[in-house]
Amino acid sequence: MPFPNVRLSNRPLHFIYLCDCSGSMAAQGKMQALNQAIRQSLPGMAEVARENPEARVLVRALRFADRADWHVQEPTPVQQLQWRDLEAGGITAMGEALERLAGVLQSPPMEERALPPVLVLISDGQPTDDFETGLATLMRQPWAQKAVRLAIALGHDADLEVLQQFIGPEPPGGGRSPRRPLQASNATSLARYIQWASTAVVGAASMPASRVQEQGDSNVNIPLPDLPPTLLDPTDDVGPLVW
Amino acid sequence: MSGLLPEGASLRFTGLDQPLRIHRALGGGTQGEVYAVDCGGEPLALKWYLPACLERDAQLPRRLRQSIALGAPSADFLWPLALLEPTAESRPLIRHPRAGFGYLMALRPPGYVGAHRHAGGELEISLQNVLRASFRLADGFHQLHLKGLCYKDISLGNLFLEPGSGRVLICDNDNVDIDGQGGGSVLGTPGFMAPEVLLGQAKPSASSDLFSLAVLIFRLLTRHDPFRGRRELAIRCLDEPARRRLYGEEALFIFDPTDAGNRPDPTEHAAALVTWPIYPRPLQQLFEQCFGPGLHQPQQRPLTGQWTQALSRCLDQRQICPQCGQETFPDPAAPGPCWHCGAPLPRPLQLQLPQGRISAAAGNELLPHHWDPLAPLALEHPLARLVSHPDNPGVLGLQNLSAEPWQGQLTNGQTIALDPGKTCNLAALQQLHSGAGPITVLRP
Repeated sequence: MPFPNVRLSNRPLHFIYLCDCSGSMAAQGKMQALNQAIRQSLPGMAEVARENPEARVLVRALRFADRADWHVQEPTPVQQLQWRDLEAGGITAMGEALERLAGVLQSPPMEERALPPVLVLISDGQPTDDFETGLATLMRQPWAQKAVRLAIALGHDADLEVLQQFIGPEPPGGGRSPRRPLQASNATSLARYIQWASTAVVGAASMPASRVQEQGDSNVNIPLPDLPPTLLDPTDDVGPLVW
Repeated sequence: MSGLLPEGASLRFTGLDQPLRIHRALGGGTQGEVYAVDCGGEPLALKWYLPACLERDAQLPRRLRQSIALGAPSADFLWPLALLEPTAESRPLIRHPRAGFGYLMALRPPGYVGAHRHAGGELEISLQNVLRASFRLADGFHQLHLKGLCYKDISLGNLFLEPGSGRVLICDNDNVDIDGQGGGSVLGTPGFMAPEVLLGQAKPSASSDLFSLAVLIFRLLTRHDPFRGRRELAIRCLDEPARRRLYGEEALFIFDPTDAGNRPDPTEHAAALVTWPIYPRPLQQLFEQCFGPGLHQPQQRPLTGQWTQALSRCLDQRQICPQCGQETFPDPAAPGPCWHCGAPLPRPLQLQLPQGRISAAAGNELLPHHWDPLAPLALEHPLARLVSHPDNPGVLGLQNLSAEPWQGQLTNGQTIALDPGKTCNLAALQQLHSGAGPITVLRP
């Protein structure tokens, strides 16, 4: 006879993408790169979800351009998610997106008990609406305060200051940190950051990983994993190729 | 996955005569990346550390060299075999300015799955094999502690199981160090860490290993967590500060015999309520000891040898419920009701050996330590196994797995020969004379 058909009770982990779909995203294939990066990251995310018996990983996505709207409205188990392509066109209603997000982070519809949500904001530009009000509305929600908030800056025109405000106070010292906007200058680094957020961060928020001393910052509610290392590509960072 | 090492390339490492061919990435974790590699025709695994991990842990190469020199405590460990540093000509092929290092180990054989799959209820595994896995886990740490080492980071994530046999593999052995040596940065995994380590009052050691081991055995045996009871229901957002309270500051065992303040909730924590009654009192008492007095007094925690003894006795008294067919583990002298269907269990037929009694149920095994008081407790090399008749499952026999012929005496006085591989019907048997000593049938 097999082991009784029981399992550790689990909690929902809400993972929400906020995707900039403004017109500038159409340039240089950024929109396509984001669609690809998210689509490619799903199998790895599903694997992490499967390895975490304590979590039910549920994915949603908000798109914002002239208006903010749900792209994936139902909290969808990652194993069942089929990513439809986002399309670029319009301005950057990021503030409205944060208001829409605030709406789903209040209880209800949020469950009474859950794991910290993971919110990933991806943008290549500057908000064209009232970002401050949107952020203030969002941050009044206790679940938004508890959430792991990450931001990915696409290209060089992204408003890093706005993204930092979404994440929270800037950590001291310099250098790369998951608590600063992650700067993706090309499709490869975008894919690595999306993959990192959807696997390593989901893992950290759902089932605690091994802890080491330097991470023992008891002020944070979820210690974040190391960022993926910056890889050297054979044709990258070798200096000018022709001169 | 695009990682630090170039897939398909051959790299040379200092101290290794031949180049290592990097086949493909097998996976990545928070510490490093693992690759399938080929070393002169031998398939092996290579763990390559992330630069951030090396920066944090200056002692890592020392610990790895030490572990490699000491050798694996038992076959249940996926132990480091060699420390690898790239030669000067291989360094440019590694896709990071700080080339770093890694170590070679055996590949995880097929058929082993992560223990989290069991905790998540995704694995078909018998209770007997869960108990065997728990025994092997405790025995692995017994051997490790006997070598003067401590593991520091016992958790579900470092354990693999073979569901069909209950064999285990203990992985991620790179935090292992001589017990009491302060070096190393790992603290453990929240949910498994001993309270004194979680709360920053002590460093991981062999005695904190004992706590983490008990948590892991509990999670294997119950598919639940020893501290998630009603107190968890009061936590809305299960984050780091909440875990510190649940597992540290306010930790209370869900089955604490004197304080019922954190009992499992019948709907949220059903797994614990279903599985806890399966196990005999001596095993339950070890958990009560470790998560009660042992919670804050490390010297009160049950030792690895106590776990192997209790788990081995539990396996010896495995019995099949005649009503529902479920595996049960009752005290043979007073079996009580079946945990699954509630039917009263009969007192079992038992086999008396020089060093123990085994309840007669198909699948139970007679092991060298049942005969020899000096043989270590182990599940390997059974000398006999209880089996059902292939055509009539109701007929129970004892199969001679030794290399020697045994003599049997039947209840009517007749004697029989039991050659290696042959099985005799227990119904008519009085006693068997094995080379190692007698086996006597005790009827209830």
